[in-house]
Amino acid sequence: MSVTRREFFIVSGLVGAGMALSSLGVDVGPVKAFADELKIDKMKSAKTSTSVCAYCSVGCGLIVSADSKTGNIINIEGDSDHPINEGALCAKGASLFQTTASNPNRLTKVLYRAPYSDKWQEKPWDWAISEIAKKVKATRDAGFVEKNDKGQVVNRVENIAHLGSSNIDNEEIAALNILVRSLGLVYIDHQARI
Amino acid sequence: MSQGFSILVDTSRCTACRGCQIACKQWNGLPATETRQWGSYQNPQDLSADTWKLVRFADGVDSTGKVYWNFFSDQCRHCLSPGCMAEAEKGEIVQNEATGAVIFTPKTKDLGFKATLEGCPYNIPRQNPKTKVMFKCTMCLDRITNNQVPACVKSCPTGAMIFGERDKILDLTNKRVEELKKDFPNSKALNADEVRVIYVVKDDPKKYYEYAAGK
Amino acid sequence: MTNHYIDLKNSDCLLIMGSNAAENHPISMKWVMKAKEAGAKIISVDPRFTRTSSVADFYTALRSGTDIAFLGGMIYYIIDNNKYFKEYVENYTNASYIVAEKFDFKDGLFSGYNADTRKYDSKNWVFKRDEKGIPEKDPTFQNPRCVIQLLKRHYSRYTPEKVSEITGTPVADLLKVYEMYSSTGVKDKAGTVLYALGWTHHTVGTQNIRASAIIQLLLGNIGIAGGGINALRGQPNVQGSTDGCLLFHLLPGYLRVARASQPSLDSYINANTPTTAEPQSANWWQNYPKYSVSLLKFLYGDKATKENEFGYTWLPKAEDGKTYSWLDIFDELYAGRIKGMFVFSQNPAGSSPNTKKVVAGMAKLDWLVHTNIFNNETASFWHGPGMDPKKIKTEVFLLPAACSVEKEGSLSNSGRLSQWRYKAVNGPGDTISDGEMVSKIMLKLKELYQKDPGKCPEAILNIRWELLDDKKQFDSHKMAKETNGYFLVDKTLKDPSGKDIEFKKGDLVPSFAYLQADGSTSCGNWLYCGSYTKAGNMMARRGKEDPTGLGLFPNWAWCWPVNRKVLYNRASCDPTGKPWNPKKAILEWKEGKWVGDVPDGAWPPMSDKEKGKLPFIMKPDGVAFLYGPGLAEGPFPEHYEPVESPLAKNIMSAQMNNPVIKIFKSDLDKFASNDPNFPIVCSTNTITEHWCSGAFTRWQPWLLEAQPELFVELSPALAQEKGIKNGEKVVVSSIRGDVECVAMVTPRIRPFKIGGKTVHQVAMPFAFGWLFPKTGKDSTTNILTPGVGDGNTMCPEYKGFMVNVKKA
Repeated sequence: MSVTRREFFIVSGLVGAGMALSSLGVDVGPVKAFADELKIDKMKSAKTSTSVCAYCSVGCGLIVSADSKTGNIINIEGDSDHPINEGALCAKGASLFQTTASNPNRLTKVLYRAPYSDKWQEKPWDWAISEIAKKVKATRDAGFVEKNDKGQVVNRVENIAHLGSSNIDNEEIAALNILVRSLGLVYIDHQARI
Repeated sequence: MSQGFSILVDTSRCTACRGCQIACKQWNGLPATETRQWGSYQNPQDLSADTWKLVRFADGVDSTGKVYWNFFSDQCRHCLSPGCMAEAEKGEIVQNEATGAVIFTPKTKDLGFKATLEGCPYNIPRQNPKTKVMFKCTMCLDRITNNQVPACVKSCPTGAMIFGERDKILDLTNKRVEELKKDFPNSKALNADEVRVIYVVKDDPKKYYEYAAGK
Repeated sequence: MTNHYIDLKNSDCLLIMGSNAAENHPISMKWVMKAKEAGAKIISVDPRFTRTSSVADFYTALRSGTDIAFLGGMIYYIIDNNKYFKEYVENYTNASYIVAEKFDFKDGLFSGYNADTRKYDSKNWVFKRDEKGIPEKDPTFQNPRCVIQLLKRHYSRYTPEKVSEITGTPVADLLKVYEMYSSTGVKDKAGTVLYALGWTHHTVGTQNIRASAIIQLLLGNIGIAGGGINALRGQPNVQGSTDGCLLFHLLPGYLRVARASQPSLDSYINANTPTTAEPQSANWWQNYPKYSVSLLKFLYGDKATKENEFGYTWLPKAEDGKTYSWLDIFDELYAGRIKGMFVFSQNPAGSSPNTKKVVAGMAKLDWLVHTNIFNNETASFWHGPGMDPKKIKTEVFLLPAACSVEKEGSLSNSGRLSQWRYKAVNGPGDTISDGEMVSKIMLKLKELYQKDPGKCPEAILNIRWELLDDKKQFDSHKMAKETNGYFLVDKTLKDPSGKDIEFKKGDLVPSFAYLQADGSTSCGNWLYCGSYTKAGNMMARRGKEDPTGLGLFPNWAWCWPVNRKVLYNRASCDPTGKPWNPKKAILEWKEGKWVGDVPDGAWPPMSDKEKGKLPFIMKPDGVAFLYGPGLAEGPFPEHYEPVESPLAKNIMSAQMNNPVIKIFKSDLDKFASNDPNFPIVCSTNTITEHWCSGAFTRWQPWLLEAQPELFVELSPALAQEKGIKNGEKVVVSSIRGDVECVAMVTPRIRPFKIGGKTVHQVAMPFAFGWLFPKTGKDSTTNILTPGVGDGNTMCPEYKGFMVNVKKA
């Protein structure tokens, strides 16, 4: 017996699209997830985009729905057209909504911890980038190795390390690769090793 | 009423990924409850006003010495004649005609919880302790009346949950049981004539969950 | 993966070993279950009965760290019972090659070992070659020095009884697995291997996988639909980051990092470009110069000229033979030699082995730059357990990153499928993408080096950075095109049929076959050449056609190389190009061309002695390696005990551990083998509800609700011995530290009988930490794990180390 995901929809297609719940004589209070308007109704006008899950490497497709009025993401579920997951998601994938701005635990500011300090301070980007670049340059210039013990030209930096990441996009990885190689780093690794 | 919809929950295909448990929370905007590790993969420990779908885990050793780990993705069975409705005379609990979904309305706060729970053979109804309103699975009535399968069914990767018209689901159920019986003679569908959410098990239902086949 | 996720449905037998696919790659089970419903058998081999085991047709357990013994027994079973696919083995592997006299194996060591350097001289392992350099062969397999005879001799020591004594797997179970799986060594059956960190997290990890490769080659399971060796990888883009080679030993596209002994571009290319005398070998890596020069043009643009060796001198040169891996990095931190560190989107304070050494090392840094979407134990190490912020000077920059749906770009799954994802919304607050962060830092560094040259400023100033959009922000489309590669001058080249094809300066290169070694093309990663072409962004495609019915979906996104779904797919056909199994034909030679998947080379099949090529095109001699002289520990996998073992002696030989592993010597690198204080084997694992160290998922209430706290799984027998009840708090200790967690007593774990004694094993996830949620003492599992790595890859031994368990 084999029923494809597509067939699930065909099987379920008979009630008729867009039937208002109230017309069924039902008060669906408990279904109500978003204050004034039902989520299912908001979904009809939502801006949707496709994405790919952010966890394991199966590469499941997602449909992300953003509310047309607030612009906020209101729903993330599996992409039924996606040939690998055909709409399905595991526990982590199904929870992706909680990685978005809806989660108050998200980092939203640059945080800086000064030497010997016991707290974080919020900082603007310009300050942070400028400070980071200065420190990278100072460390690099102090540790730059032009020649090794054998006198071979090596142009490398052994006092700065880089880790990461298998958790960012290919284009970001390419950018990181340029950064770390241009600095002359040799201590370069990421999650693939572990 | 015998048409409407049904869900086949084929436990033999379930790998306990718990996509369904979380998809239910996500779609319905249900909050997480605070839990602790209690010596099981199963968490929350039980259904609640905020948890309408729960994968139950049961491991053990069978009479031949073989280990098993059974998964039972528990939820409201949406009974054809719902026991929970016995006392609900003022529309506190309604059965949606087109779909067969059994819906707890906010008026359930006026119902006796004990009686409602006792009326359910499957130990499903739960009450919000503060508001006294009762909650459980809605069969995703909002989705199924808008051409979308229930959130849990959609999330299922292995075909352990299939949603459709009741007659088609009954056909599928019978075929699946026959197939499974070849290797697992104890396979059966649980109370298929009485419920819309039909569980198929390949062993004694008690090895899955106390109320798997009802009280 | 040699194959891809959907292809699992085409298999007749799935050996899931070193993987708990249902737990860690839940949606892969969609295709595993499809196979099962079509009649395939699932075999689950794991120290614990897992979610995967629950749907397996056959399950058996082995002690953690004994996979080579288990698989070695299968190799012998296959050869001894003549279960191997003769025609495949004869034509497509080095089974018939004659190995030169110097190769030998005695009591756990191959010839050429130097105990002082802990290294082998692999010159002792070469093939016998004729005066032209072509390997000598015996197609009759009779010569005692031919590979298959040596293979048989090596594994004849791995009798079921001996294997059972090592692994703890009952002999009957071993034979059942061997019989079930070797049934795929025929033309019309496909067997596939699914593995993951359960095989890599060992000091013999690479050889675990080699052992499975030998089995798959013997059974003719490589290159076919439903076959292959399939690594289920652990992160969303770990395939892409490996292809992109953010790694110490490689440059993008698996090109080798430049080494100190290679002062010139020529010397670098000569050292890395293999040659072959085998007339029918494609030897694809002969194209190394094209890929490396195109990479240099990508990095340095017009600044890279023929005269300056395309800027080769500006690349850092690593010391020959030296590793700069993860474990080395934290050893250097702890020694105080590394002063600054970038950590992009990961949590080493939770995911590294021996985390006490990791955080002690981080406390010696001058600065740490960390990007993430949630706070974690790495960014906050300075106020973690045992840390006194007043004594820690490290400056920490915690940069708020956009999450996956708040930026645009591609990522590659385990099946090498590169998929584009779109930006749904802006991230909250000051979040920006990691790409934009890198861009800001790079541009600022260029500015600083412009003002004050410091050291080797050319390396930074000459780097091209033309990657910004109209808003001066990092543009992932621009980078994707640069990665694909451009023609830098007008060029007329030949297409595969020999016809002229004209390219203009500024054209995107359609395929890596057109990349050049003369500086006329640029390419950020040759494997991704073809991913973004004149036809558009191939990674964003959503075509649903499946012409073969085998689930290839050639028009959905794009996979490397050149959209080929099954690697080495010409091995799915006999030497005349007829599919071994016409019912699941991934490829067929028809009327002078290949039909089906994108073939690995358009050449005719090898029966065409003039133009035909052997299928294993990435191997210099065109055939797959049953005998693999390229690995550090020797040409055949051999069982060695984990660094921490319950045994006093390796049952197999006098050599206790992998002889080539690197042992770190710091005071925090402690090991306890065969130690009565730590008698229990422990393995770490991942759980469905959390991702790796839990740095993302613990902050998500739904997932935390589902898995709230650290636990240890143990058998009822061990629980009884220790007086532990299910759900009680316990302390798990190794020689490196203690962790408190909750006991999960389950019959899914059973004690083993090893070498006549009872050995217990326990299992722990590593998804928890001290920062959040606060459930008690530090619940960083990796406090327990040893900082020792695989002999080839330096991948740590998270599985199979020694602990004790007691009531808290």
